[in-house]
Amino acid sequence: MTEAPTTGPASSDATSSALLGHPPGTGARRWRARRRSAPKLLVIPAALVALAALAPAAYLLLRQGFNLELLLRELNTPSTWPLIGNTVALLVGVCLLTGLLGVGLAVLIARTSLPLARLWTVLFTLPLGVPTFVGSYAWVAFSYQYFPGSRLIFGLGGAVVIMSLTLFPYVFLPTLTALRRLDPAQEEASRSLGQGPAAAFLRVTLPQLRYAIATGLLINALHVLAEFGAVEMLNYQTLTTGIVQRVTILGEPESARALAVVLALGAVAVLFIDRLVRGRPRPVRTGQGSPRPPMRWRLGWTTPLWLALSAAITAAALAVPLWITASGLISNLGGQGTAVDWPMLRSATLNTVQWAGWAALVATLCALPITLLAVRFPGRLSSLIERSVWVAHALPGVIMALALVYISVQWLFPLYQTAALLVIGYVVMYLPLAVGTQQVGVAQASIQLDEMSRALGKGPLSTFGRITVPLSLPAIGVGALLVGLDAGKELTTTLLLHPTGEHSLATRLWTTTEGEVLDFAAAAPYGLTLLIIGAIPALLLARATLKN
Amino acid sequence: MNRQRNLSPTLRSIAPIFAILLAFALAACSPGDTDQTAADQSVDKAAETTEITLYSGQHESLAKALADGFERDTGIQVRLRAGKDGALANQIIEEGQRSRADVFITEEPGPMGDLARRGLLTPVPEDILAKSAQRFVPAGGSWLPWAARSRVFYFNPELIDEADLPESILDLTRPEWKGRFAYAPSGAFRSTTAYLINTIGADATLDWLKGIRENGINEQKNGKVRDSVEAGQHEFGLSNHYYWYIMTRNSDHPEDIVSRVHFLNNEDAGALMLASGAGVLASSSKQTEAMQFLDWLVAAEGGQKVVAESSPQFPVNSNVDSVYDLPAINTLTFPEFDQAELDNVDEASDLLKQAGII
Repeated sequence: MTEAPTTGPASSDATSSALLGHPPGTGARRWRARRRSAPKLLVIPAALVALAALAPAAYLLLRQGFNLELLLRELNTPSTWPLIGNTVALLVGVCLLTGLLGVGLAVLIARTSLPLARLWTVLFTLPLGVPTFVGSYAWVAFSYQYFPGSRLIFGLGGAVVIMSLTLFPYVFLPTLTALRRLDPAQEEASRSLGQGPAAAFLRVTLPQLRYAIATGLLINALHVLAEFGAVEMLNYQTLTTGIVQRVTILGEPESARALAVVLALGAVAVLFIDRLVRGRPRPVRTGQGSPRPPMRWRLGWTTPLWLALSAAITAAALAVPLWITASGLISNLGGQGTAVDWPMLRSATLNTVQWAGWAALVATLCALPITLLAVRFPGRLSSLIERSVWVAHALPGVIMALALVYISVQWLFPLYQTAALLVIGYVVMYLPLAVGTQQVGVAQASIQLDEMSRALGKGPLSTFGRITVPLSLPAIGVGALLVGLDAGKELTTTLLLHPTGEHSLATRLWTTTEGEVLDFAAAAPYGLTLLIIGAIPALLLARATLKN
Repeated sequence: MNRQRNLSPTLRSIAPIFAILLAFALAACSPGDTDQTAADQSVDKAAETTEITLYSGQHESLAKALADGFERDTGIQVRLRAGKDGALANQIIEEGQRSRADVFITEEPGPMGDLARRGLLTPVPEDILAKSAQRFVPAGGSWLPWAARSRVFYFNPELIDEADLPESILDLTRPEWKGRFAYAPSGAFRSTTAYLINTIGADATLDWLKGIRENGINEQKNGKVRDSVEAGQHEFGLSNHYYWYIMTRNSDHPEDIVSRVHFLNNEDAGALMLASGAGVLASSSKQTEAMQFLDWLVAAEGGQKVVAESSPQFPVNSNVDSVYDLPAINTLTFPEFDQAELDNVDEASDLLKQAGII
C-alpha cells in the first residue's frame, strides 16, 4: 500500500468523523517521520491524568494488606480458577456476538438495499441508553412471567446474549461510520480483478474496518470484565461477581482486592491482544475529493427476512425492557406501589444529569492532552500513557469505590461523600471512552493545517485552540456523550460514593429492590425517566453518525 | 516564537469551546445551588438542629421509614446512607476514627460482631438492651437486636408436599435431593455457615457446603430463589422468610401465588432466627442522640411499630404484632444460641470460598 498524501478537505473529514471509527491516518505517520519530541506542556498534564487514572489500580497493589502471598492464596482457592475460566468464556462470547451483530448490522445498513436504513440506525443505537442491570432484570422478569419453566436465559448463553444486546452498539456505531467513509475504489478494483462480491468485501473492505471494530470490541471486553449486576442476575459467576460478593456479603476487601489484581492483569492482557489484532492503522482514503457512495447489495426477495431479523434484535434489546417497565407503570397507576413522589423524581433526575454532565465535561478536558499526545506524538511514552487510562474501565465499580473511599479518607477528607468525588470516580472509569473517540477526530484534523498555523507564527496553544479543537469538535462531542451516557446509568460506584441523602435515578431504582429483584411497579417512574434521559444522548449519537 | 503575545488570542479561541461544555454541565445544575453550597447548608443546619447519620445495611425502604419515624417522634434529623451490610461495615472500618456514621443498623448479626470485635462500637446500656428480646441479646451487649429473620424453605406445592420436605438442611447433601432445591450465598447463608462451624465443626461444615454446591442450584440472590421456586423451576429453596411476604405484598394478584413458606420449626440450622443489629459508633460525637435512636428502635410505639408495619421481619418486642401474616415468634421453635458467637464471619467466609460457592 502506498503512502498517500493527506488531501481530503479536512474540515468535512472532521465533521463527519462521528465515532471512533477511524485510524489515526496518514498525518500521524508523516509526523512520526519527523520525530519531534512532545512538548512538556502536553506531556505533563497527560501524565498527571494517566497517573490519576491508574490510582485505583495502584491502590490494589499498594494498599496495606496486599502481598504476593495473599494473591497466591486467592489463586489457590478452589473457586478462583473456575471464575477465571467463566470470565474468559463470557468475554470471548460477548466479543464474538457483539462483533457479529455490530459489524453485520452496520453492513446491512450501509451496504444493502435494506429499507428504512435511518430508522434502523437509530433503533440499533438506542440500546446504549438501557442500563445493563435494568435490561437483565427486565429479561428475568419477562422470562419468569411468560416462560416460567424456562432456564434458557440463565448461565453462560443467556449472559452472552443479554449483555451483547446492550453492548453491540459500541461496535455497530464506529463500524457504520467507517463503512460510510470508505472509498469504494479499492473494493471495485478488487472486483474488476475477478474477485466475487463476498470475497472482495472480506479481503479488501473488512480489513479496513479492523481499527473501528477493534475499538468497539475493546470497550466491550473491558466492560464485560467489570460487569456485575447483569451477570449475577443471570446466574453466572465471574471474577467480578466473586469480587463484589467478597465485599458486600463476606466483607473481605483484602481478598476482593487480590482478585481485582487478577482482573486488572486480565485487562492488561486484553489491551495487549487488542494491540496485536488492531494492527497498523491504514489510510482510509487514497483519492482526491469525496468518495462515491459504495455499491449496495440488493436483498431482493430476502428483504422481509432481514427486516424481521432487525425487528427481532430491536425487540429483544429495547422492547423487553420497555414492555416490563411500562407494565410496571400500568400496575403503578392501577394503585400498586406508592404514588409518584415528584420532588424525589425531580431531584434524582437533576442529580443524574448534573453528575453525568460534570463527568462528561471533566473527562473531555482530561482526555484532550492524552489524545493529542497519542495522535500527534506517537511513541513509547505516549502509547504507555494512552493505554494506562483503559485499565480502570475493567475494574468493577465496587473496587473503584473502595479505592476512592480509601484515598479520600486518607488524603482528601473534605471530598469524602461529596458529588465531586463521585464525578472523579466517573471520570476515571469512563475516560477511555472520551480518549478513544477523540483520537479519531484529532487524527483526521489535518496536521497540515496545524503546520500552516505554526508557520504563520501561531504558538502551539493557539494552534490547538483555533485549529485542532474546532476541527475535532464533533468527535470530542461524541466522546462526551458516551461518557455522560455511561455515568448517568452507573449504579455500583454511585451507591457507595453518593453524598449522603442524595440520589441518582439509578440508585433510586435500586431502593425498590427490597424484594431483591426490581419492583418494576414502584421503580417505573425512575426507570422510565432513566430510559428517556438515556435515549437523548443515544439519539444524538445516531444523528452524528447519520450526518455523514 | 513569542508565546506571551499569543496567550490571549489563545484563550479567546478556546473560550467558546469551554463555554459550550460548561454550559452543558451548568445547565444541569439546579439554579443557584452547587454541591459545595448544598454541603455548606447542610453543615449549617446540623449546627442548628440535632442530626445523626445512619448507615443502614437494611433494604432502603425500611431504613427510610425508620429514619422518618425517628425524626417525627424526636425532632432529631436523620441523614440516611443505605447499602449492604458488608460494604458499609468495610466503609466504617476504612473511615476509622473519622467515621461519618453515628449509628449503624444491619440485616445480619455477623458484621455487628465484627465491628464490636474491632472495638468500633460503644456498648449498649443495660436499660436499652432490657427492652429487646433477651434470647437475641449478644453476650457483651455491644449491639442491640431490634428485629429477627427466620431461615425457611420456600416450596412449590405443585412439585412437592410440605410433608416431604427434609427435616434438616444437613440432609440436603444426600443424593436423593440432587437438583431439587435452590439456595443463594447471602449474608444469612454465611450466618448459617458460621453457626454450623460452631455446632458441627469446620470440617463437617466444609463437607456440607460442598454437598450443597453439588446438589443445589445457586440462584445467587434470595429474591431469585423465591421467584424460581414460584415459577416451578425447583421444588424448594433455602431462604429467609420475609422475601416471600414482600412478594405477596407487591403482587397484583396475591391469590395466584403458588409457593408457600415452610418454617422448619425445630432445632435445626435451617430454622435459625437471625437478629438484625443496631450499634452506636464509638467514634461518634453524638452518643446521646445515637443511643436515643437505639432506645426508640426497640420501643413498642417507636421503631417496633415501624418494623411491624413496613417490613415482614419479626419485631423483637413481644407486645408488637406484625401487620403481615407471620406466625407469632413465640409459637416457633428455633435453635437457642448467642448471636455474638456468629462473629466468626471470617472463618465462614473462608469456607464459602473453599467450597466454591462464592
